[in-house]
Amino acid sequence: MDAERTLLAMVLADSRFPAGAHAHSLGLEQAVAGGLRAGDVPAFAAARLRLVAEADARVAVAARRGDTPLADLDEEWCARCPSPVLREAARRLGAQLLRSAASVFEGRRIPAYRATSRATPRPVALGVVAAAAGLDDEAVALLALYDDAATVTSAALKLLPLDPAVTTRWLAELAPAMALAARAVAADRRPVADQPAPAAVALELAATAHQRHKERLFAS
Amino acid sequence: MQADRALRVGIVGPVGSGKSHLIAALCRELAGECRVGVVTNDIYTTEDAEFLRSTGVLPADRISAVQTGGCPHTAIRDDIAANLEAVSELEAAAGPLDLVFVESGGDNLTAIFSPALADVQAFVIDVAAGDDIPRKGGPGIARADLLVINKTDLAPHVGADVELMVAESRRRRDPLPVHATSLRAPDGAAAVAGWVRERLAAFHAHGHLHSSAEGAPDHHHAHPH
Repeated sequence: MDAERTLLAMVLADSRFPAGAHAHSLGLEQAVAGGLRAGDVPAFAAARLRLVAEADARVAVAARRGDTPLADLDEEWCARCPSPVLREAARRLGAQLLRSAASVFEGRRIPAYRATSRATPRPVALGVVAAAAGLDDEAVALLALYDDAATVTSAALKLLPLDPAVTTRWLAELAPAMALAARAVAADRRPVADQPAPAAVALELAATAHQRHKERLFAS
Repeated sequence: MQADRALRVGIVGPVGSGKSHLIAALCRELAGECRVGVVTNDIYTTEDAEFLRSTGVLPADRISAVQTGGCPHTAIRDDIAANLEAVSELEAAAGPLDLVFVESGGDNLTAIFSPALADVQAFVIDVAAGDDIPRKGGPGIARADLLVINKTDLAPHVGADVELMVAESRRRRDPLPVHATSLRAPDGAAAVAGWVRERLAAFHAHGHLHSSAEGAPDHHHAHPH
């Protein structure tokens, strides 16, 4: 990618991009309630990359390519995420991303998807936005992976006694795994329905328990 | 020019200054004359929304809660996507509304709404937090469209000088309004309700409003006022 597109990828990866991600811990809050300790955060983030974020990245890349109807991708993603609580969290994150991105990037794809999709899962929304920003498959996959891990490490600071420089080092240490996964996802030309779809059943079950908590900081 | 959406009134201020009670009182004052909705920004889950639902001043479906990840100031200023979505969803679900109060979760003196979220905003402080608060200043005290100095009934008990608070506030804010209120009084929210009515009328007349929080008003529009 040229410098301009790299910069647009950075704009989308920046936590200052107004898409409401700061209100989510992606399951970390419930994991902490269940006994997860500060030193376990890197393993939690790595497990999410393997079991959740890589599958999300595959859907995002398919949405960017545009060769599968977006409504079909919505359904493919929902089939990979049976938890109604997690679907709702992803719908909100997707809708918020689309709302801001519609003001940031030109073109008709973002408004069209925003107007027609009821599910707006964040991975599909991310692929649509990335297409408007002119990003390539590997950049979209990296964005999906990085955003997942960065949301976890950022939420960790509010949940556990941690040094922000340390959580950022953990994020940086995931770079080789994220790069490897992004290359594999970008190289996979099969329809998303034929691609690997792992599941994190424990996270899906924990999300429902989290929703029932009266006192929690995060929406997910 | 008629606006095609509800007027969004931001209510912001420190923890415990009485924002939720003020909104409940305003809903009681205004419920008979316009269609009101409320979006709360909670620090912990949906406590403010639940308080408002428990007061019965509005149907439950007119109250919606945004979860802020412990950062209400981020959710009302730096990243307002979740709030704009919540207002849209409320208007879509509850039918056309005239007025939506957006309550910030209790925060410090530096919190202020983005003008893209709140058309106008009231900053609420209270006498019990200390009568030097207006002197300490901050963007809410200096620039909010309305400053409410709440709980004046407590002033004799906490040694606060309400007149001094009002005078220092006026010095900082002139000509922006300051209202000293006690919600214990039967018509305690009447003056603030009057301000809301007047802003709503101006919103309907112009189709939009300029919040003083935006800084110097920009009146270079293509359309006449």
